[in-house]
Amino acid sequence: MPEYDAVVIGAGNGGLTGALTLAKAGRKVLLLERHNVPGGCGTSFVRGRFEFEVALHQLSGMGSQERPGPLRAILNDLGVMDKLEFVEMENLYRVVWPDTFDITLRAQRDAITETLQDRFPKEKDNIPRFFDLVYGFSMEMIQGLFFKDPNISKEKYPLFFKYALIPTQKVLDEYFRDPFLKAVLSIYWSYAGVPPRWFSFGDFAIMLFAYIEFKPYHLKGGSQALSNALLDEFINNGGEARFNCGAQKIITSGGKVTGVKTEQGDTVQTRSVLSNASMLQTYLDLMDPEQVPKETLESFRSTSIGPSAFSIYLGFDCEPDEIGIQETTNFIAITTDMDEAFARWKTLEQQGVALLTCYAEGMMGLAEKVFPGIRGHVEEMEIATPMTHLRYLGHLGGAIYGRDHYAKDTQYFMANTSPVQGLYFAGAWASQGGFQPTLTSGRSSAKAILKSMAKK
Amino acid sequence: MSLKDVIHDIEGYQNIKSEIEVLKKYGFDHGARRGQFDAILEMLHPKSLRLRVSEIIDETKTTKTLRMVPVQGYLPPFQAGQYISLVVEIGGVVTSRDYSISSSPSQIGYFDITVRRVGDGFVSEHLLEETKQGDEFTSSAPAGNFYYNPLIHGRDLVFIAGGSGITPFMSMIREVTGRGLDRRIHLFYGCQWPDDIIFGQEIDDLSRRHADFTCTTVISEPPVGYRGHTGFITARLMQEILGGLSEKMFFLCGPEAMYAFCREELKQEGIPERKMRTEMYGPPRNVTTCPGWPEHIDADARVSVSMKGGETIMVRSTEPLMNSLERHGIAIPSLCRSGECSLCRTKLLKGRVFQPEGVKLRKSDRQFGYIHPCMAYPISDIEILLP
Repeated sequence: MPEYDAVVIGAGNGGLTGALTLAKAGRKVLLLERHNVPGGCGTSFVRGRFEFEVALHQLSGMGSQERPGPLRAILNDLGVMDKLEFVEMENLYRVVWPDTFDITLRAQRDAITETLQDRFPKEKDNIPRFFDLVYGFSMEMIQGLFFKDPNISKEKYPLFFKYALIPTQKVLDEYFRDPFLKAVLSIYWSYAGVPPRWFSFGDFAIMLFAYIEFKPYHLKGGSQALSNALLDEFINNGGEARFNCGAQKIITSGGKVTGVKTEQGDTVQTRSVLSNASMLQTYLDLMDPEQVPKETLESFRSTSIGPSAFSIYLGFDCEPDEIGIQETTNFIAITTDMDEAFARWKTLEQQGVALLTCYAEGMMGLAEKVFPGIRGHVEEMEIATPMTHLRYLGHLGGAIYGRDHYAKDTQYFMANTSPVQGLYFAGAWASQGGFQPTLTSGRSSAKAILKSMAKK
Repeated sequence: MSLKDVIHDIEGYQNIKSEIEVLKKYGFDHGARRGQFDAILEMLHPKSLRLRVSEIIDETKTTKTLRMVPVQGYLPPFQAGQYISLVVEIGGVVTSRDYSISSSPSQIGYFDITVRRVGDGFVSEHLLEETKQGDEFTSSAPAGNFYYNPLIHGRDLVFIAGGSGITPFMSMIREVTGRGLDRRIHLFYGCQWPDDIIFGQEIDDLSRRHADFTCTTVISEPPVGYRGHTGFITARLMQEILGGLSEKMFFLCGPEAMYAFCREELKQEGIPERKMRTEMYGPPRNVTTCPGWPEHIDADARVSVSMKGGETIMVRSTEPLMNSLERHGIAIPSLCRSGECSLCRTKLLKGRVFQPEGVKLRKSDRQFGYIHPCMAYPISDIEILLP
């Protein structure tokens, strides 16, 4: 029976960085992927004359060459930077309430402050105070938490201890009165799938800080280029990848991983499995029920499957500026009440075919209010419903960000390690949703695997 | 000291802790979700289908409809216009071909596929001559992007069908008329001879009964005394019958030559690309006539294909790599066989292949040396990494 140092299940973002980290350390690695293309969410598809990005809007954590962010550092270490061409976005985003309010923010602290002060003169003094908090908090979080300060305490990091778990909405209400201002500032909640009322300020602040400081990026060829580069480097480092072949079962014995049975029916031996599949489904569908510790399944009771998405991909027969599209990132809203916005989002859980055209029609109608006439230029259109996301991501509910990420689901409460010896996780279920978190999670878990191997 | 020791100092920590305790007691038991994912997938997007021929219907002298029922369980839903990829084994070679489903998606008790004999088509020959009621096949689930989109295609549709290219349209026509959907359809149906017309009687009946469905048949090689429209489906004919062509959405399905002709005709009338939707077609009849084909490579050229860590085979340059692999008993995933779906995506490690225009490769796949073997022709000795 073939033997591997580690088997990685799933070639999503976390699976790819994890597999590559292990291969680069000289380990013999088998990467299994159900689909025929690497990337998971980090992929693209071709229709007609167009190639559509599936998921990536704005890559965070890159930073410039001179001032590299944490993600750039990881990609550098993994040796894929010279295969990729990154493009920095100048603007953070545009937020529009059709016929009501329209604002675009630069990805730069002073410029944002100035723009907001100009548009919200009544809140002139509150705006810089708020950014002082976001920055002050983020610096403390980086120092105390990310760099693992051994002397961490409430006295040394007062902002961190006060604000980490507070709902974002509470902080916004404390600082501002104008509902548009609050909504404009907190619109990134949608990248986490948690409305400001339940989004911990810690998670929110560090995200906003990171996007402003390290700038949003995209890359040529889209996220598929990144996935392809990671896989290519994995193969170059002796890694073995099998596509159209998922894992069927993680074999354990006495609470330890001993092997993996693949979908094609063969079994390989290994003591380490890095699962990039949904954590919940790894336990439910990839392991024999009697091999899963009872407490482990019970611990899932406090969590829930996160939201899915309804995505419309449009290919136009003209240049974007001809139909008024100037920004790379446009949020279009119909209410400043983000709880209502989230409630509408959650209606996606009602399934049915009628919903398909109903949602798509509604979204197209809304987009047309901001970009009049776009419908007349659509040459290709593809729609992805929660069922589509379920099918391609392999996540129940079509969850795009793994589990829900309320304050109770943050790193302070949720273990991302397993009581099953040799079982590790990567991806949105192991950390947070989004490209930077998932790419990072694979790297961290692979390092944990290497560490445990070194001990033996 | 680490965060663990002081974590309870974070404001709100205790409250959340107790919330979690309550949830652990009363929260949802996710154990109920065991097996749910596979069950959903099996229902909507099964990996493959087992089909049994329940009936064989003679359509014309050269065409039959095979009615396929599931051997077990249910058939998945599909969009009118989609196809299935049918796996056949002929003389020890396992290969597959795509057939549009001609029955309406309003019912999924069976799928009809309508097969017409093509000149040298050894698969169509097999399906028409060898297949009997009760035979079983494996196929893909329905796939393909040739279908109506209510958001952008409007309600005024023109279908241009050539020969057996009628099959996806038959599904659409049956759905729209059967369900009384609010869409107007005019079908231009080009055939070589009058006795080549598939579904002629049904099309006549439907157009008589439904004011919103009309049809014009055009015969390219009419017998003496034929009284209908003859020649090709020209813009002039379309203008004459439809009045104006603007604001209409055109769907085309038929042989390569018809696409070239009809698309150009429509373009001349100022119809933009977005108003024409064309069903893909398989590999070109003769790849050496494709633009960009290297002239020094003639029709009989042979090259070697080595599989990394496996065997080496000799293949013809003018045959799609996928077909050559199948001839040697090497199966790789296939679906559209037209260079479009990317299911056969394979890494080319050494050598060169020719991929005709229209093969839909991702930008980064091109950069990292991936090819679509269903429409890739090896023009030098090559080495590939099987997926």
